[in-house]
Amino acid sequence: MHHRIYDVIIVGAGISGSIIAKELCESGLSVLLVEAGKNFNRTNYPKKEIDANSQLYWGGGIELNTNADIGILRPKVVGGGSVVNQALLDRFDDLALDSWKDKTKINWFSRKELDPWYDKALSELNVEEIPKEHRNGNASIFIKGFEANGFKSAPLKRAQKDCAYDKGSDCIECLSGCIRDSKQSMGITVLPKAFANGLELISEFEVTGIKETSDLVRVFGKDKDEDNRIFRGKKLVLAAGAIGNSKLLLNSNFSNNSIGKNFFTHPQFMSLGIYDEEIHAEKGPFQSMKSDDPNFRIKSFKLENVFGPPVAISMLLPGIASRHLNYMKQITHMACIEVAVRDQNPGQISTDSKGRLKIEKTLDERDQTTFDNGLSAIHDIFNSTGAKEIVDGNFKIGLHLMGGLSMGVNPANSVVNENFKLHGHKNIYAADSSVFPNAPGINPSLTIMALSKKAAQEIKGDVQ
Amino acid sequence: MTSKHFGNIQMRGLNKLGDVIVPGEGSFPRFGQTEFSSEIDRMLDYMYEDDRSGLSLLMTIFAFTPSFLIKWVVLLSEKNAQFPDFIGAPLRMIQLGLKGIILTLYYSNLDDQNQYGEKIMKEINWSTTVAKLDSDQEVPVMRKETSSWTNPSSDAVTQIYDNARSAEKEIYKMTVKQRRNFITSLKKLILDEKEKIVDIIQKDTGKGRSDALFSEIFGVLDHLTFLENEAVNSLKDAKIKTPIALMGKKSKIFYEPLGTVLVVSPWNYPFYQAIVPITISFITGNSTIYKPSEFTPLKGLVEDLLYRAGFQDDWVQIVYGDGKTGSQLIDKRPDKIFFTGSVATGKKIMSQASEMLIPVELELGGKDPFIVFDDADIERAASGALWGALTNTGQSCTSVERIYVQENIYEKFKTKLLEKTKTIKQSVDKDGDSDMGGMTTDSQVGIVKLHIDDAKTKGANLLTGEGWNGKDNLIPPLVLDNISDDMKICTEETFGPILPLYKFVDEEHAINLANDSDFGLSASVWSADNKRALRVTRKLKTGNVSINNVMLTEGNPYLPFGGTKYSGIGRYKGVHGLHSFSNMKSVLIDSNSNKIEANWYPYTKRKYQLFSGMTEGLFGGGIKNFIKFLIYGLKLESYSDKVGKKGRV
Repeated sequence: MHHRIYDVIIVGAGISGSIIAKELCESGLSVLLVEAGKNFNRTNYPKKEIDANSQLYWGGGIELNTNADIGILRPKVVGGGSVVNQALLDRFDDLALDSWKDKTKINWFSRKELDPWYDKALSELNVEEIPKEHRNGNASIFIKGFEANGFKSAPLKRAQKDCAYDKGSDCIECLSGCIRDSKQSMGITVLPKAFANGLELISEFEVTGIKETSDLVRVFGKDKDEDNRIFRGKKLVLAAGAIGNSKLLLNSNFSNNSIGKNFFTHPQFMSLGIYDEEIHAEKGPFQSMKSDDPNFRIKSFKLENVFGPPVAISMLLPGIASRHLNYMKQITHMACIEVAVRDQNPGQISTDSKGRLKIEKTLDERDQTTFDNGLSAIHDIFNSTGAKEIVDGNFKIGLHLMGGLSMGVNPANSVVNENFKLHGHKNIYAADSSVFPNAPGINPSLTIMALSKKAAQEIKGDVQ
Repeated sequence: MTSKHFGNIQMRGLNKLGDVIVPGEGSFPRFGQTEFSSEIDRMLDYMYEDDRSGLSLLMTIFAFTPSFLIKWVVLLSEKNAQFPDFIGAPLRMIQLGLKGIILTLYYSNLDDQNQYGEKIMKEINWSTTVAKLDSDQEVPVMRKETSSWTNPSSDAVTQIYDNARSAEKEIYKMTVKQRRNFITSLKKLILDEKEKIVDIIQKDTGKGRSDALFSEIFGVLDHLTFLENEAVNSLKDAKIKTPIALMGKKSKIFYEPLGTVLVVSPWNYPFYQAIVPITISFITGNSTIYKPSEFTPLKGLVEDLLYRAGFQDDWVQIVYGDGKTGSQLIDKRPDKIFFTGSVATGKKIMSQASEMLIPVELELGGKDPFIVFDDADIERAASGALWGALTNTGQSCTSVERIYVQENIYEKFKTKLLEKTKTIKQSVDKDGDSDMGGMTTDSQVGIVKLHIDDAKTKGANLLTGEGWNGKDNLIPPLVLDNISDDMKICTEETFGPILPLYKFVDEEHAINLANDSDFGLSASVWSADNKRALRVTRKLKTGNVSINNVMLTEGNPYLPFGGTKYSGIGRYKGVHGLHSFSNMKSVLIDSNSNKIEANWYPYTKRKYQLFSGMTEGLFGGGIKNFIKFLIYGLKLESYSDKVGKKGRV
């Protein structure tokens, strides 16, 4: 038993947990942040792909839905998604926010209400547009293909600073943590401020259960030596993401029937175009463009120019032996575009009697049509830019993990209320992607930050 | 090729699979050639148990499957999209799993081990880099990791006592019966999870599995059953006789909580020494602060069990830390200190406690004698000596540390003991199939070595265990003879697996030898003559004696336990133990009458005469005096009442 009773315990040191920790620490509250993953910094990020996959993600790299056709990449590291993501920061548009307002009956889901929070979130970090002159071969194909097909594209805004492209930096290396602290991950932005104001952190501590009594919340778990530990706080913030939060509440026997429901992943699918000439998609800022096409938005998908390191690409490629090696030999001749589906068909997260995860997530007909539309746009792009072969990836991936504790005013069909509190619980909060009521079709990071800022203000008010 | 998870068979399967997926072609090396499989734990360590065992099973199968069949399986899994989901899904899992492990090893540029990693990167023309930072820019502060396993801050200690003091009130409100319910849940939990608990005990102590089960788990369950059966009865208000001079009044003892009890425990029986005093303290109604030894904290175990048994947080608080923490906790003035451990620490604790007059109970060390008379069954006595000296690797306060054998059977006994010593099996086992485990702390290993070296220098013979290097924690049984009383091994507590043999001539000699010690914890007497055994038992200056058995008084939770001399102060366990954690409150109940008592003011000459006569009658004895008592008593009573109300005349 830790003898201290914290004002607030936060489970999960990802984007939401880190931002809330910083806000609460700065207002003088005692905060304990617990995180299942390790606490790395730029000097010790695991750089080999084998170690990066194993040590930065749950399940040793990947988790699967029950149908085994979506590989779920769920970060497990202090800093969470901000360590392993591509740091794309976009505000939600009216289309997304109106659908949230409609679904949740929460009126502050509007740009007018949220823009101040977006601004506050953006003030924590540096955002840059990738300079034109540093765009790589993959971006050129993307732009050319978009132009050829009359699609609209736009440069990305990315949370980064001083990437030193002119000195030959290849951002793909930063997928397992940025070794020059250019990527604006939580560990270099908000967390140092939280530590300066008294934050206590325990990494490699996996929370296995929570229990709420009248005025205290207890957090149970195991530390890296498998020793049991219990912590007590007056307030609890769940910031372990859609899957982490749902699993924790389900395994702690919380009774709301909506827990784990409304799970979305923006299923993504990478397609590779192989060209005669070298593309070097791995070089420089490997992702610098996005689709900005109103037709795509209406059709619920978007395209990104992405790539992956050798293991990741090798896993997407079909075949074994010579067929496989023949593809791998051409890895620097590949362009890569990904379609991300704004999925409509909700999945469900549940746990079995042993507390193990079960993730049901399928594409229904609508989602499949969206997906097909996206894929055919990619094929059009590759075909119009002279690809000699197109290879569609082996499986989909899910890395925008959203929902499970969806927000809403009605306790009958939602888990978290408009004040970020669990319905029926006065001391438990959530503001990360788990509260998303549906898939917005836009990268979630910045909105998680904005919601977390707003939630922190609510929590401060409740404590004081 | 070593892996924590895969054996040689699975490794063979893994390499066969690797050669199917990456058979080596052109300048690409064959998977098996790269020897990357030796790095498989870099993945397996982090996988979910289910996934890992699934892969392990597949690799086992592949080890015995011809390569063309493995190839067929992989190719089939590639065609998963052509199957309905109930086949497609498992095929996809297989595809992802099989290609995943091989391709991850193959393309992760594992050039730390050999040059193949770089070579493969060259083959695919892959080279990426990140420009290093120009300056020695500081790494942002990301380290303020908190720990509850180290000494608490002084603020935390204050908090602990605040918590304890408010918990006192909650526990006080409960009846003993209500408290007993928590004991019952705890007992059930420990029974259900005994193997898991043994694992944790072994992890911290390095003791043998059977030692952990027999002494710690069984002992705890036995004790909890005792509490279930006896606590309610022992702690209910006791009616006490009231003498005739106080006729008309009632006397009682209330067994009430003391308040907050500080329990400080040693490392030799970390689970037993946690649960037993904690539960005694709890059932008697105290709030408890428990500090385990920093060597065997059983991190998180006790609070987890207590919590799940329904104990509220602050009823029992576990505080991790070393001696400094112990001292800080004493400074906050608990209502009692219960300490089990070494004599040296016991003295320090008592000295610190004396400043605040905190009652201390000390369960300290021993140098227990084992007395074998010539009529004892030698086979049984030798087996008893062996177990008594070696159980828990000799790390018990009641370990046999002096074996006295009557001279006419000495050689026979020695031969038997040496014979039996050879059969001892020693390891930190996982299945209970071993007699002795290892020593728990390095410092204790050092003491054993010191005692043995000292004894050898001064002329003792070491009859077994010559092979021990003086460092290894797995100290073998050490039988010695030719011991003199100037040796440390004769007078100081060794706390290790030693069997020192001594000769004695007769009964009186044995008693003198046994009593010639600073310690007096327990002893055992072996003889076919019951009268003699009892006679010797009465003459031993010790807290506990087992006759024709060894270390058995602790085996009965109804018996109190404690020592004399340097072995400690006070008794715990049994009904006495429950009372020693209680404030025995004496209560005398009189009725609310209008009478003035005889011994109250005013004192007068007349009252003096009547009181004097009443006293003679009461204590004089015989019927005549009894009548005198009655007469004087009645007169005294009515006079006292009158004079008490009207005042001195």
